[in-house]
Amino acid sequence: MGGGEGIKVVGVNHRTAPLDVRERFAHGAHEVPRALARVMAAGATGGVLLSTCNRTEFYLVADDEPALDAVWSLLGERLPVAAVGGAREYGYIARDRDAVRHLYRVSSGLDSMILGESQIQGQVREAWEASRAQAGPVLHRLFQTALHVGSRVRTETGLGMGTASAASAGVAVAGKIFGDLAGRSALILGAGDMAELAATCLNDEGVQITLVANRTPERARAIAERLGARAVSLDEAWSHFATTDIAICSTAAPHAVVTWERVGGVIGGGARRGRPLCILDLAVPRDVDPSLAQLENVFLYDVDDLQTVAAHATARRRDEIPAAERIVEEETDLFWAWYGGLGVVPTIKELRQRMDDLRAHELERALRQLGHLSPEDRARVEQFSEALLNKFLHHPTVALKTAAEAGRGYGLLEAVRRLFGMEPPA
Amino acid sequence: MIVTLHLIVLALYGLATALVLAPFMGFRAAPRALAIAVPCAGAAVHVVAISQLTLVGLGPALSMLALCLVLLQLASERLLRGSAVSFVAAPLATVLVGLSILSGLAPAAEAAAARNLWFVLHVALSVLGLALMALAFIAAALYLLQFRELKARRFGQVFQLFPPLERLDQLNRFALVAGFPALTLGVLLALGYGAEFSGGLHVAKAQVVWGIFTWVVLGWTVWVRVVRHWAGRRAALASIAGFGAVLLVYVALKLTQPGAERFL
Repeated sequence: MGGGEGIKVVGVNHRTAPLDVRERFAHGAHEVPRALARVMAAGATGGVLLSTCNRTEFYLVADDEPALDAVWSLLGERLPVAAVGGAREYGYIARDRDAVRHLYRVSSGLDSMILGESQIQGQVREAWEASRAQAGPVLHRLFQTALHVGSRVRTETGLGMGTASAASAGVAVAGKIFGDLAGRSALILGAGDMAELAATCLNDEGVQITLVANRTPERARAIAERLGARAVSLDEAWSHFATTDIAICSTAAPHAVVTWERVGGVIGGGARRGRPLCILDLAVPRDVDPSLAQLENVFLYDVDDLQTVAAHATARRRDEIPAAERIVEEETDLFWAWYGGLGVVPTIKELRQRMDDLRAHELERALRQLGHLSPEDRARVEQFSEALLNKFLHHPTVALKTAAEAGRGYGLLEAVRRLFGMEPPA
Repeated sequence: MIVTLHLIVLALYGLATALVLAPFMGFRAAPRALAIAVPCAGAAVHVVAISQLTLVGLGPALSMLALCLVLLQLASERLLRGSAVSFVAAPLATVLVGLSILSGLAPAAEAAAARNLWFVLHVALSVLGLALMALAFIAAALYLLQFRELKARRFGQVFQLFPPLERLDQLNRFALVAGFPALTLGVLLALGYGAEFSGGLHVAKAQVVWGIFTWVVLGWTVWVRVVRHWAGRRAALASIAGFGAVLLVYVALKLTQPGAERFL
């Protein structure tokens, strides 16, 4: 289906746009109301903006034009002037049923870069909450059901089982050693993005990041500040291997920096009392001397190990796609049935009642002026008025019912209500 | 009736075993609710069956041990937030129920003793102590398997399905610390019962030897954990060695003292 008011999704995601473009399109929470206000001013009657590191999508109840143009222009302004094709070049539009299915696939993790990841569920909820004022009844219902679909997929299928990224695999491996990670301590060697991401994942699980050690103190300080940790030099870090539970290593050194000579005695000594130490070596080339794994209480994992954990999980998750897609399809049908019939029956009833009241009122006035008519003639005039009303209302009634069956009742209802001066639906 | 109920229990525990071991045989894991409901149903029927038993003799003692094990398995599901204990406890309970049926569920001697509260408490606490020791053994075995996989960087079924090392260590410690007073009380009640109602101790020598040996071994494992602060792999090895020694001594005594019918 093309034009006319209906549900639309317009945006970009990790499949259609490279990271540097997605970064430009990303909207912070404070930017959402202004962006939506601009699209609403272009004719949309409802809007929700979902912006994550992997997607920026506007969910709208709108006509095709000009609301969609407003979105492209809004996104296009964030591109460098040299970008020839504008935002459209990176984007996509899904309409009506496809738009509903799209959001359900997004919330269940089927459309995620990491298949089945659960973070998106929270991001969908946050987007909905941030856009509550502009969402309108249809998008409220759509997002509410999208969260339900996400929960169903995660509960009824294995799409969310295991871990599917190297950073989250690090969390999973640490979890298999320590159980609850809350209250554990971790230190970071190096200040690369990967280390920061893994540290953030651990931090989300309640791990206290105590130290960030780096050759360049400025960068260490910046990360330490974000994670509530202390920045130290690499040489100061070795003694802390006696107390930390987890060590994340990601320096840019061309050779191993965590060596037996530097930390072997500290880890194997009495201070740890045999407590396990999980070392996540995320650097390439590796930061940690592999011989340290010989210590009984050391669990050492490098990038390959973590990618193996992630790959195991992804393979298992792929098997769950058909079951997850079935749930999405089932729920799309349910939403579409609701959306299609939304308010059609009460609106038709109200319309007929309103028209009949008018007919009765006008008939009474006319009959007062036609007092000479016999009772038979009066009855005939009344029949005529009823037949005329039925004729007038026949086409709008059929059109509304047909639109409802095609899932486009809501847009037409708005028009009918405006044309006949009826109250907007609750 | 008692045998029929035990056969139903055997079938339900067998089904529970099949459900928990399915992922290791390449089948899809059973829904968690079903994996808990089946042993729960088995335990419910088992309680009815035990209530009709006279708690004297090998068969009833094995049956009671199996029930304690299943109840501890279900309780440990909460601590571990998973069904790992059932990988060992479910088949073990099934075997124990099967053995109890084969051994005969009728009391072999001194049926009157079974109506004495001291005796019933002695049996119940001793069996509970043994079951907790078995639970400590299971937690220790799972710990060592998971430890081996984590050290070897293998991320297959054991890594996925077994609980974290720390929780297994906690379960092992809890089972030992709770099992020791239960077994101690069980032994003291046996002494009290002998002195109070049987005119002194008239028990087989093998039973005394095994009872005291078990108590000493359990006491040692608790001592190294609580007083010497052993934990992790060393504590797991101690638990396994202790439980293995208790089993070995039992089998040795059973073979050398075949006449001791009351002897568990």
